[in-house]
Amino acid sequence: MVSLLRTIRSVRRVGLREWWRQMQYIGDAKSGTYVGKDQFGNRYFENRNGEEEIPGRHRWVDFAQHDFNATQVPPEWHSWISHIRKEPPTNDSVMQNLSPPWQAPYVENLTGTRGAYKPYNTVVPKINAWEPSVKPRA
Amino acid sequence: MSLALKSTVAHVGRRAGVTQVGLLGSRLLHSSKINQMAEKASQSASTPVTTEPITALAKQGSMQLSLETPQNKAEYVLSTLDKVSNWARQGSMWPMTFGLACCAVEMMHMAAARYDQDRLGVVFRASPRQSDIMIVAGTLTNKMAPALRKVYDQMPEPRWVISMGSCANGGGYYHYSYSVVRGCDRIVPVDIYVPGCPPTAEALLYGMLQLQRKMRRSRKGVIW
Repeated sequence: MVSLLRTIRSVRRVGLREWWRQMQYIGDAKSGTYVGKDQFGNRYFENRNGEEEIPGRHRWVDFAQHDFNATQVPPEWHSWISHIRKEPPTNDSVMQNLSPPWQAPYVENLTGTRGAYKPYNTVVPKINAWEPSVKPRA
Repeated sequence: MSLALKSTVAHVGRRAGVTQVGLLGSRLLHSSKINQMAEKASQSASTPVTTEPITALAKQGSMQLSLETPQNKAEYVLSTLDKVSNWARQGSMWPMTFGLACCAVEMMHMAAARYDQDRLGVVFRASPRQSDIMIVAGTLTNKMAPALRKVYDQMPEPRWVISMGSCANGGGYYHYSYSVVRGCDRIVPVDIYVPGCPPTAEALLYGMLQLQRKMRRSRKGVIW
């Protein structure tokens, strides 16, 4: 779907600065309607014109962080961006009323950082490292 | 230290939360007085509302941060060299396919058109001597374990291992079998564990991205 005409059209719509950002992070010149922003500052877009975007690429996210990661999308927006729910959470009354008071704040996947979840074990380890010992020769 | 980090993590998340008012209001209803006091104290202690992401907090004092923020010219040069080699490594990850069971089908899906691993530079190699990652996909039996170790030993340094699926992670369904290794980390050192039975191709691809994150963190030049 990448064509020169589509690229020029998108650049004219979003502006040079936004286009440069898109080429750095998304790798494609996209234009569409701005749907909303989540609590982390990620911006969500949609373009349902079949001439401009392939079905399946018509909803996208522009991540706020440089080191982006799919788990930075909170669950409400995840359900919108992967078509579990039709309406974005800003418009979806069901989604807004469903949030229970005991729900923990959403945290992205911290694997590989110091915030990673580490379970602890109080049981004696079943596996021990092999420590080779050589018998002294007679 | 980790406890303090966790509490800060929780606070940042709370600060970032949209439903903050509703959440606090309901806390007043549900929790005891001591809890409320603690809540208030923590709220007032964290007065400067920062909008920095939680990863910035989690990175404090880590190797990643020292790689990204060199302190002097020597560190700048060395960390740049490190970054270049990390960039080169993460851009062409060649996994050795160790498909042992049904997980291998999902691994093939990762290579197919929908998830398309080629766009990340991930190309399957059939030879351990040309690959730098091993994806252990499936049940590792006692009979296969020496072969797995031998293949791992044939791979050139630097090498990484992704353990894919419940069986490779910890025996899974066959944990109590007499002939199955209870996790391939008893045989080879594992970098990334991908959970699932079998994990989706998407999950495995996410595991590859996490491994890229790990590669970006590695330091050979800046070793202090």
